[in-house]
Amino acid sequence: MTTATASHDDHGPAKGIMRWVLTTNHKDIGSMYLWFSFIMLLTGGVMALIVRAELFQPGMQLIRPEFYNQMTTMHGLIMVFGAIMPAFVGLANWMVPLMIGAPDMALPRMNNWSFWILPFAFGMLLFTLFTEAGAPNFGWTFYAPLSTTYAPSSVTYFIFGVHMMGISSIMGAINIIVTILNLRAPGMTLMKMPLFVWTWFITAYLLVAVMPVLAGVVTMMLMDIHFGTAFLTRQVVVILYCSNTCSGSLVTLKCI
Amino acid sequence: MFFRAWQRLSSVVLGLALAPAAMADWGLNMPQGITEVSQSIFELHMLIFWICVWIGVVVFGVMFYSIFKHRKSKGAVASKFHESLGLELLWTAVPTVILIAMAVPATSVLIQMYDTTNSDVDIKITGHQWKWQYDYLGEDVGFFSNLTTTDDEIYNRTEKGENYLEEVDNHVVVPTGKKVRFLITSNDVIHAWWVPEIAVKKDAIPGYINESWAMIPEGQEGIYRGKCAELCGVQHGFMPIVLEAVTADEYQVWLDDQRAGKVAEAAAAQGDFSYDELMVEGAAVYARSCAGCHGTEGQGMGSIFPALAGSPMALNDMAGHIDIVINGKPGSAMQSFSAQLTDVEIAAVITFERNAWGNDTGETVTPKMIIDAKK
Repeated sequence: MTTATASHDDHGPAKGIMRWVLTTNHKDIGSMYLWFSFIMLLTGGVMALIVRAELFQPGMQLIRPEFYNQMTTMHGLIMVFGAIMPAFVGLANWMVPLMIGAPDMALPRMNNWSFWILPFAFGMLLFTLFTEAGAPNFGWTFYAPLSTTYAPSSVTYFIFGVHMMGISSIMGAINIIVTILNLRAPGMTLMKMPLFVWTWFITAYLLVAVMPVLAGVVTMMLMDIHFGTAFLTRQVVVILYCSNTCSGSLVTLKCI
Repeated sequence: MFFRAWQRLSSVVLGLALAPAAMADWGLNMPQGITEVSQSIFELHMLIFWICVWIGVVVFGVMFYSIFKHRKSKGAVASKFHESLGLELLWTAVPTVILIAMAVPATSVLIQMYDTTNSDVDIKITGHQWKWQYDYLGEDVGFFSNLTTTDDEIYNRTEKGENYLEEVDNHVVVPTGKKVRFLITSNDVIHAWWVPEIAVKKDAIPGYINESWAMIPEGQEGIYRGKCAELCGVQHGFMPIVLEAVTADEYQVWLDDQRAGKVAEAAAAQGDFSYDELMVEGAAVYARSCAGCHGTEGQGMGSIFPALAGSPMALNDMAGHIDIVINGKPGSAMQSFSAQLTDVEIAAVITFERNAWGNDTGETVTPKMIIDAKK
């Protein structure tokens, strides 16, 4: 009698670049988030260095005022959306499944997608530095009408960039909520969950609540700029204030 | 250059180590200011600061003491109890009490700050890109306040003056001993009117009017400087505030001077001006009001602010040129200069723009043409 030798063991990940493009492994994705965050930290950090170098002495030294405002704006956006938030999501990807005894995140393919949206979002934001109009220059709080009527044309790329970051954030947050609620090991009750998992559980709900508001606001900006609406002109400016306060408090919460 | 920076740095470091008495001179703390409200704010700030210091000392003191006293090498064993109702109540009650104790003085200062009733003088402050406009309500006095620091100073071609980036052509003059109410709004983007010494910092939002007030006590006549405190575009750093406090009598004289000046301006506009006179005046007006966006050589800036040198409007379309300066261009940063420049200044600057930087039209625009165009 012959013995059939069928191989049912793990084939291992894909080879080369596709290993990272197609991965659904929470540790791989977590590592990519952390590396992305680190690269963005350096990018935003260089911008901060340019700003401080200009401020080393009074008067115009190295750069012109237009570029100075672009640097402060891009520094803020990149540090908040590109460095802090992905760093936290990366840590969550790595640690949450390990801490609650889950085999992986609950929605691994969505996890892959929520990471891979980010490089494109920031690619879009960063390439505006090389356009004729220059990068967004209205501060990372983008108060209208400085960010609408008086903004450079690159504001449209900024809006789509924020949309994509929002989609990525929401998908990441949903993934974390679903993982925590459905994939805890037997015996790991909510009250036994480590504090890190709890903080992410709450932050994820906040993200799901706040990101659509932010997306709504930038959509209103888009409509105002290109389709003649008046969401954020004069009387309604206050809406942007509120939503900015929302996202501001979110970021503060995350930092805590 | 570098030597001076090192000198400053080392003196700061030395000062920190040796001379705590000199602290006040470095302006590390917020200014006490000169008004009653600013004093209240300062006292509140110090009160809260010392409460924080006290909490920090107590918390870290207990922490470090516990870590040191109960270290493992001394054979410390952790106690095994959990759930202490008394302790939990205590650490809920203590912060609550502290917060309420801080909220009471804070609220009273806020109420004081927001009480804009019974004012003696009302000044409407309008933010523009990038200058402030002041209107004395009911006095028929109003003007714009432009930066007077020269480009040469900003671009390091000459020594910087004493009040570098903190000097303007028209000071906002207020009487001492009177309650002055500020009505703060904006014509374009969000600005913020901030004068630290009188503790006023208010956003200027288009479509809104924010209120604030100050009463500078008699005997505190002088000049107080401030800045725009909300990013408002490229020249956000170039729209300072210079507040001049004078006695009530001097204030009345100043108001009369302002009104007389306006009448004289209107009369002057009826006079005749030569091409040369207009070009000289126009160059000065251009440097002050136009060069910020359109460039010192009329070259424009980026893709938003068009060049004037060689522009079709400056070369061929005189009516359009006059119209855009008087009325501005809606939906763009080009504002109406009808109220901020006199008819003579508008005529001069248009003449200048049509003849400078190779725009050699040879045309002269007279103040009378501006008066006609405004009708």
